[in-house]
Amino acid sequence: MADGPLIVQSDKSLLLEVDHPRADEARRAIAPFAELERAPEHVHTYRLTNLGLWNARAAGHDAEQVVDTLIEFSRYPVPHALLVDVAETMSRYGRLTLTSHPTHGLVLQATDKAVLAEVLKSKRTAGLVGERVDDETVVVHPSERGHLKQVLVKLGWPAEDLAGYVDGEKHPIALSPVAAPRTPDEAPKPWEMRPYQAQAVDGFWHGGSGVVVLPCGAGKTIVGAGAMAKSGTTTLILVTNTVSARQWKDELVRRTTLTEDEIGEYSGTRKEIKPVTIATYQVLTTKRKGVYSHLELLDARDWGLVVYDEVHLLPAPIFRMTADLQARRRLGLTATLVREDGREDEVFSLIGPKRYDAPWKDIEAQGYIAPADCVEVRLTLPEHDRMVYATAEPEDKYRLAATAAGKNRVVEQIVAQHPDDQVLVIGQYLDQLEELSEHLDAPLITGATTVRERQRLFDAFRSGEVTRLVVSKVANFSIDLPEASVAIQVSGSFGSRQEEAQRLGRVMRPKADGRTAHFYAVVARDTVDQDFAAHRQRFLAEQGYAYRIVDAEDLGVVK
Amino acid sequence: MATFSDAVRERSDDELVALLRARPDLASPSPSTLRSLAARASSRTSVERALVHADTPTLQVLEAVLALEGELPAVGPDDVAAAVGAQDPDAAAAVRGLLAAVAEQALVWDAGEAGQPDLRPAPGLGEVLGPYPAGLGPRRDPGSPAPDLTGLDSAVAALPPGAREVLDALAWGPPAGVVPPDGTAARRAVDALVDAGLLQRAEARTVVLPRDVGLALRDGRTHRDPALAPPAPRSARTVREDTADAESASAALEAVRLVDVLVTAWEENPPPVLRAGGLGVRDVRRAAQTLDVDEATAAAVVELAAAAGLVADDGDAPASYVPTTVADAWDEADDADRWAMLAVAWAASRRTPWLAGTRDEKGATRAPLSADLHRAWVPRLRGQVLAALAGMPGLAPSTGDVLADLAWRTPRAVPPEPAVEGLLREAALLGITGAGSLAAPGRALLPVVTGEPTADGGAAAALAGALRAVLPAEVDEVLLQGDLTGIVPGRPSRALASLIGRTADVESRGGATTVRFSAASVTRALDLGASADDLLDELGRRSPVPVPQPLEYLVRDTARRHEALRVGTASSYVRAADPAVLAGLAEDPRLASLGLVRLAPTVLATAVPAAELQAALRSRGLLAALEGPDGRPLGRLRRPPRIDRGPGRGARSAYAVASAPVSDDGRRALVERLRVADGGGTRSPFSSTAAGADAARATVGDGAAHAILPPPTAVDRLARTGAVDGVAGDTLALLREAVRDGEHVWLELVDAHGRPARRRVRPLRLEAGRLRALDTSRGAELTVAVHRIASVEPDEGG
Repeated sequence: MADGPLIVQSDKSLLLEVDHPRADEARRAIAPFAELERAPEHVHTYRLTNLGLWNARAAGHDAEQVVDTLIEFSRYPVPHALLVDVAETMSRYGRLTLTSHPTHGLVLQATDKAVLAEVLKSKRTAGLVGERVDDETVVVHPSERGHLKQVLVKLGWPAEDLAGYVDGEKHPIALSPVAAPRTPDEAPKPWEMRPYQAQAVDGFWHGGSGVVVLPCGAGKTIVGAGAMAKSGTTTLILVTNTVSARQWKDELVRRTTLTEDEIGEYSGTRKEIKPVTIATYQVLTTKRKGVYSHLELLDARDWGLVVYDEVHLLPAPIFRMTADLQARRRLGLTATLVREDGREDEVFSLIGPKRYDAPWKDIEAQGYIAPADCVEVRLTLPEHDRMVYATAEPEDKYRLAATAAGKNRVVEQIVAQHPDDQVLVIGQYLDQLEELSEHLDAPLITGATTVRERQRLFDAFRSGEVTRLVVSKVANFSIDLPEASVAIQVSGSFGSRQEEAQRLGRVMRPKADGRTAHFYAVVARDTVDQDFAAHRQRFLAEQGYAYRIVDAEDLGVVK
Repeated sequence: MATFSDAVRERSDDELVALLRARPDLASPSPSTLRSLAARASSRTSVERALVHADTPTLQVLEAVLALEGELPAVGPDDVAAAVGAQDPDAAAAVRGLLAAVAEQALVWDAGEAGQPDLRPAPGLGEVLGPYPAGLGPRRDPGSPAPDLTGLDSAVAALPPGAREVLDALAWGPPAGVVPPDGTAARRAVDALVDAGLLQRAEARTVVLPRDVGLALRDGRTHRDPALAPPAPRSARTVREDTADAESASAALEAVRLVDVLVTAWEENPPPVLRAGGLGVRDVRRAAQTLDVDEATAAAVVELAAAAGLVADDGDAPASYVPTTVADAWDEADDADRWAMLAVAWAASRRTPWLAGTRDEKGATRAPLSADLHRAWVPRLRGQVLAALAGMPGLAPSTGDVLADLAWRTPRAVPPEPAVEGLLREAALLGITGAGSLAAPGRALLPVVTGEPTADGGAAAALAGALRAVLPAEVDEVLLQGDLTGIVPGRPSRALASLIGRTADVESRGGATTVRFSAASVTRALDLGASADDLLDELGRRSPVPVPQPLEYLVRDTARRHEALRVGTASSYVRAADPAVLAGLAEDPRLASLGLVRLAPTVLATAVPAAELQAALRSRGLLAALEGPDGRPLGRLRRPPRIDRGPGRGARSAYAVASAPVSDDGRRALVERLRVADGGGTRSPFSSTAAGADAARATVGDGAAHAILPPPTAVDRLARTGAVDGVAGDTLALLREAVRDGEHVWLELVDAHGRPARRRVRPLRLEAGRLRALDTSRGAELTVAVHRIASVEPDEGG
């Protein structure tokens, strides 16, 4: 114990010294129950949370294991109160279980009468449960299965859902051993799931329902395909937007035995319902005359599996709708469990516990995602611009800073430094992007670009026909640009963590030649732009990426 | 030996000394004779006092001696051991030891010959222990014949049904029962028992179990089991020794840190002392915020700092709590020595911080640091609590467990639960306990708390050593990371702690310390005078890895911005459109006294007032125009603004009374008052002052409208320096008279804001420059410094 790699703080954070000889061992040991909070170069911070501990319980770990692990790897004696708290928190999971009763149907069962009495006394459970069968059992309305789980998590007594799932309509799906070619001149190449993808599928299938956490670019779509193959049933896939839907379709056609005809798209433009249906969040949450008009989709078929892409972006109304899908297997895919709206507990209760998690760095170390070099370029505004900025209204300041004219020149300079790379320029303001697109003589993709045109440009970019692309924030979610090795961000909305993860994801895809990816952010000095950049810096550094700040004037010297 | 008194008289000198040591109350005041010593030793008060600290087995032994007296021909130690149930030889020996101790205290005496012990209770003992010692009934009336107790079971079997149950119910006490109503089966059983002599009628409606029957039912026992050891804790958790020590160490460090933060905060911002003494609610709340703890903990920390003498009431007016010179020693000391300072102070403290925030009998909130929290019994209870904890090694007892232990130690004086809980909380805060179990540093404190006082320095050094032994090793490096955090993987050394305290914000404490650098935290370091290079250099030296580029950039960037805007103080400036005019001025030796600073080629600033600057420039031959705050030229220096006070209020102004009279009437009144104060006046002092005051008031009426009221301090100064001495001497005489006669007077006062007030009061007491008086109309008492009293007039109406 004397010289372990871990320091356990009484505020429930765990500090892992990365360079310690036993660091990897410790990391594997604590991964099941601790959430990685930040992973800068020397010391990684993990955190113990209630949800994390319950996730661990759901995965079959008990408090004793957790306590032993902490004590084994800790450098200093572990705070006693923390151990007590861990044991106490973990003992709360599983005292209540949802099971199928042979005569009463869905019931909530307690191993501890007092706990059942406590939760039934709460106002929040009123109406969700039916009559009391005995001291330890109470009938649950099947339609309230999700709501009840949600409420129980909030009450601090998460229920283990053992009630099982409907089998769903059978539909044979298998992974094809050879990836179909994308373009006619491409040769079909054999492929198989990467080890961690296979582990993720197994972890999910074993657990029944739940969330798989993989970094952007680590092939979450393939985990989805693997789960569908395991299930062999009709599947409903919920994705963030239409482009993403197309990509899912492409990937599924390439990697599985499914044909184009078996896959339907249910979006704003098309309303197909097929054995495998891909629907966007947006169409589901569209309201007409105050009612959700596309809810019938959820019942259109006897789905055996529901896949949620980017579960951390799942809109709140879908949570509500999903509450009714508790009898079906659910797979959530995400790069991060952190939700900016703080609804992590709803993901836990409605989709399920975390079933698989691999930190970015580990997968990067395995060579599946590209290492990245992050550079923040600080641009000093000319005096005139500074005066304009200083006297501007607060609401205009960000726009003024973000669209500073000098940025164009900096972008040109960076682009010039990467003549052989696929370069993506990302921004928020259209006029700025249009200007850049002209300067760089690069095509521009915005929300107004048609889907067809978008796909054409993406394909051209992929094939190397186009090497520079300017995109607005529509590109933030779920597009797949395998060969972008340089991303330049000129403006972005208020430094959100999700956005950052997505942007980095653009360049984090593995490069054929193992090149380092570059991520540039161009920032106007001494403005709010720089303040937002501070968030980004923190996020990226916490994710363990090398981060440098250079002055625009020194840019030429850097590379 | 016939009596207790004889027994006392026959004690040897050593035995008498031992008695006086064991019962110090017998020696003061010194008794005149041994007989009176014996009388005092058997008095109810003295016995009670001796028993209050007696533990449970001692009381059992005393009860046994008391209960057996007269039931056996002669009571020997073995009889007592058997009676309390001490069966094995060890327990019996323990009982004999207890008997020797109570004999030494003269609570029991031996009336027998050598080898033939006949133990008797001291005369006062029966009275103190009550009529039913050990739950046994009274001795049988000498008149009533004793039944044959050898065949008790068969005798009872022959009685009506229910008799056995009645006896069993009374056997282990209480031995008295209510007689059931007539005609019931129970009544028949009771009657039969009375007839058989197994029960005795006590009063009309009650019966008691005579002692001999009780003892027979108990098989001769007075107690079921000897309580020779404290009860085993019921809800204690086991805590490993190293865990306890580690938790103790981290608690100790945290306590030291909290006190340090408090002292620093109070240095910058001393909280005021409440008028009744103590720290106000708002300041407690503020301390809690500063320390980031709850208010109860904040109160404990405040008390701890004060107990250690680190902060104290400065005695100023108004008084506030400020760090003392002890804090200088604190600043020099390391963590362990600082902790020892706190621990030694706590060991002797008579304070009850846990009462802070509760309300006293009058409903007033008890304030930390006020006299309300002083309790003389705290050190003794603290010693007992720690002794109880020391008796449970490796265990973390609950408050209930400790209380049960204390109840065993002094069953006749069980401490209140909140006090025990409060002391346990303090012990945890200070790291005396770790994870609820007495840790090594806490054990080192035991001799300080319970034993004889050692040399102060020695105790502190020993304590510091005990803490050092459990403190994690100091770490002198901080791992700097690209996300602008730093990790100290252990306990930071003082130099390192000071560095990160200046340059970063702590995010998490414990085994390691994580800090975050931000523009704000770096600014703080820059404010303290460091340069970017200094900081980076210092950080680089303390980091085993190179300073990450983002951190370096942050420090340099912050430094760049830090100096972009500068703020300073100046009283006046001189500016010119043409830099040539100002050239050389700042360096001119003749103007050196002005301390001119060049802010820009066209602006110089100085700390002297504008008029002085203007005059100095003039004397050097430079004509300068004065300008106002708006930059426009001013004709001349503006007069200071005047305050508008209505004539009505001005008329009552104390300042006006003290100011020179402006009319002849006023002057005459003043002369008369001075005469009276001199003792030369012929009129009664009351009426003369009344006239004087009236006159003075009238006087001021026209003058006050133009007078500028000085701030209250000026009023005070005037009052003190004797401008109102003529009034003061007189005032005191009048007040003394009013106190003596209980008469009402009109007081003309100056309140804390310099505002005059007129109150009708009945003076109660005059001493130490303060008047205590009853304001009858408001029903409140007021205390006022005499120098704030402008005048006194008798209340003609009252």
